[in-house]
Amino acid sequence: MKNKIRSLSVKAKISCIYIITNAFILLVNMVLLIGINRMSTNLEQVYTENLRLNELSDHLSTVQDNMTEYLTSKTSDSLGEYYVSAQKLSNDINDINGRITNVSSDRMLRNIKELSENYLELVDQTIEAKRGRNVEKYRVRYDRSTKLYKFTDQYIYSLNNEQFKTNSARYVELITEYKRFEKISIIVIVTVILLNILLIIKLSGNIIRPLSKLAEQANVIANGNFDIELMQPSSMDEIGIVTKAFNQMVESIREYIEKIRVGMETERELKEKELLMETHLKDAQLKYLQAQINPHFMFNTLNAGAQLSMLEGDDKTYDYLQNVAEFFRYTVKKGNDNVTIKDEIELVNHYIYILNVRFSGEIKYTETIDEDLLNVMMPGMILQPIVENSVNHGIREMAGRGRIDLSIYRMDDLACISIKDNGVGMTRETIKSILDGTYEDIDIKSDSNGIGMDNVIARLKLFTGSEDVMSIISEGKNMGTEVIVYLPVKEEV
Amino acid sequence: MRSFKDRSSNFKWVLVSTVTLGILTLIIATVLFRFYSGFNTDTVPKEFYDKYFVLITEDYRSSFWQSVYKGALKEAVNNNAYIELFGSNLSNDYSKEELMEIAINAGVDGIVLQADETDEILRLIKEAGNAKIPVVTIYGDASKSDRISFVGVGSYNIGKEYGNKVLKLASQAAKGKLDGKVKLTVLLNSHSEDPGQNIICAGIQETIAGGGKDNIETTLESIDNTSAFSVEESIRDLLIREDAPDIIVCLNEQNTVCVYQAVVDYNLVGKVNILGYYDSDVILQGIKRNVIASSISIDTDQMGKSCVDALTEYIENGYANQYFTADVTSVDASNVDEYIERELKYEE
Repeated sequence: MKNKIRSLSVKAKISCIYIITNAFILLVNMVLLIGINRMSTNLEQVYTENLRLNELSDHLSTVQDNMTEYLTSKTSDSLGEYYVSAQKLSNDINDINGRITNVSSDRMLRNIKELSENYLELVDQTIEAKRGRNVEKYRVRYDRSTKLYKFTDQYIYSLNNEQFKTNSARYVELITEYKRFEKISIIVIVTVILLNILLIIKLSGNIIRPLSKLAEQANVIANGNFDIELMQPSSMDEIGIVTKAFNQMVESIREYIEKIRVGMETERELKEKELLMETHLKDAQLKYLQAQINPHFMFNTLNAGAQLSMLEGDDKTYDYLQNVAEFFRYTVKKGNDNVTIKDEIELVNHYIYILNVRFSGEIKYTETIDEDLLNVMMPGMILQPIVENSVNHGIREMAGRGRIDLSIYRMDDLACISIKDNGVGMTRETIKSILDGTYEDIDIKSDSNGIGMDNVIARLKLFTGSEDVMSIISEGKNMGTEVIVYLPVKEEV
Repeated sequence: MRSFKDRSSNFKWVLVSTVTLGILTLIIATVLFRFYSGFNTDTVPKEFYDKYFVLITEDYRSSFWQSVYKGALKEAVNNNAYIELFGSNLSNDYSKEELMEIAINAGVDGIVLQADETDEILRLIKEAGNAKIPVVTIYGDASKSDRISFVGVGSYNIGKEYGNKVLKLASQAAKGKLDGKVKLTVLLNSHSEDPGQNIICAGIQETIAGGGKDNIETTLESIDNTSAFSVEESIRDLLIREDAPDIIVCLNEQNTVCVYQAVVDYNLVGKVNILGYYDSDVILQGIKRNVIASSISIDTDQMGKSCVDALTEYIENGYANQYFTADVTSVDASNVDEYIERELKYEE
């Protein structure tokens, strides 16, 4: 039995509740109806006696009238009518059950019965006398009949009256009873309805509560908390099935999340390893590179070369080697410090000199400098890389026609350093990508000192603390490129 | 969370308990209703009887006939018969002749009739006889008829009683009179062919005559009792006359009460002595107040009993005693209290 209740579907449960509550109300209604029926039967009974007597009285007077009619006119119609009404009266009389009791109305009924019977007999005799044309007889009999009729009628009237009095009393009683019944009915109905409501609320609550709990849990889960305690299904109906499915889903989600987490962990570890590898690699490269260049060795070597060329009386070679030594000394020393514009220009000069030696004076170089700005501070290794770019990308293939113009001027409170070349120019995309830092210089290891534009721009930004440190202007292909560096006027202290 | 078992049994428990509660409510309501409504418990238990007798009188409303009837009913019930005070439950007022006709046509088993010597009554009794209905006459007889028995009140003895009382009163009354003559009036109903009256008168006169007092002047006054109110009017006429009587003898209840009232109204208390008939409450009060000197009390219980006895005897055996006499006593100031008490007890 318990199993059966467990496995009832929700539909069955609700139907069950509905049917039971309705059956309940039906039962109550039937009981009340039966009660009402009984009451109205009682009420009816009160007056049936009166009705019967009235009928009797009617039939009595009909007989009297018919007899009188017949005696007056002697038609066969009236005779026929007489027989009909006499029969009716006879039937009525037979229905009367008059007994001698201590109740007055019983005795009166008995008397009425006797009187009516005698009356009917007398009427019959009267009619007979009339038919037999015995005038004397029928007149006498008619008088007696009429007298008896009057007595009988009066008797019926009296009984009616008496019964009416008792009936009225009884009627009042019944009405009071009825009112009481009404009150009790209302109480019963209200009670039953309240009970029904209670029942419905409780039972449907029982059915539906798991659903709202589920909804709550779904909300909690939606907010990211997967660690809630799962609800056990309390019945095997549709709601129980849903609960089970829900629980399974939550479990699956938990597992899935776990899987992903594990996956991500693994991936991260892998990436970490990769990075580590790269770092180590770069480290190694760096060390390798550094190992290759010992700055002191380089200076000494170059100086020795310079000395040698001086000894040989080769001024040009001496100048060249000096410039180179200066250049390298500068790069090593001032790579990380902040320098003055003057220092940077010096380096550029050295660089141009070196290049011109290499390329036989192909690069024309001019300077236009505002002397007041020479002591403005700037990060080191900025101008030379820019000039290098111009050389490598701008004027490289120009075979002697290439020129680079450096000008330093003041604009408001900014010191502007412009490096202009008449080379191949840059496309707008290239300009944009350089300034973004997304430009990929594929030639980073070839003929340069290793410092790219992105590095320059980054250091400038760091130094000035602003984003507007450089602009690159190029009209287009073969229209040359101008790179302008903006520096705040901060002098060497 | 509640366990699984708890949940399902909870459902069942709630269902069962609610339904049970509801049915209980119904049952309690039904019981309450029955209890308080008192279904048909106030009707009198019915008794069934074998024989049906009727008592036909001139005035069923009078307390005299009411108490006769009570006595008769008691006796009848003991003999498995019911006797009805005929006409009491009819809405019309019928004369005793009419009631007689109705009774005969209703085929009753026995009639007790306050008869008189008229032809009409004679005829009716004969008709009853034809219909095989035995008739017992009470108080008034139809001596020439075939009535099976007569229950009377011993008129002569009543007369004697009155006579004695008159003699007693006469000496008193004579004292206040110049000529020492005492005027005695006996009231007779003019239209009652009741030989009883005459016998009473005879009894009175003979007793007075035998009393040796010759200062008593006796008048027989005829009271018109044809119509309902004429009795009262006649009596008043009598009393406002100058020569109002000193002693009045009334031979029935109605006359007694009328005279009593009239005497009080005309301030004749003490001047007019009343000798009444019957011991109804009013008359007893009258005696107690010393307006009525004395009254004749008839054992009405016995009378009623005798009627029924006569009928049942006749029905059983085919014959009955021809004559029953009721006991008669005098009620006056000396024993009025007893009678009043008895009346009260009787009422209960």
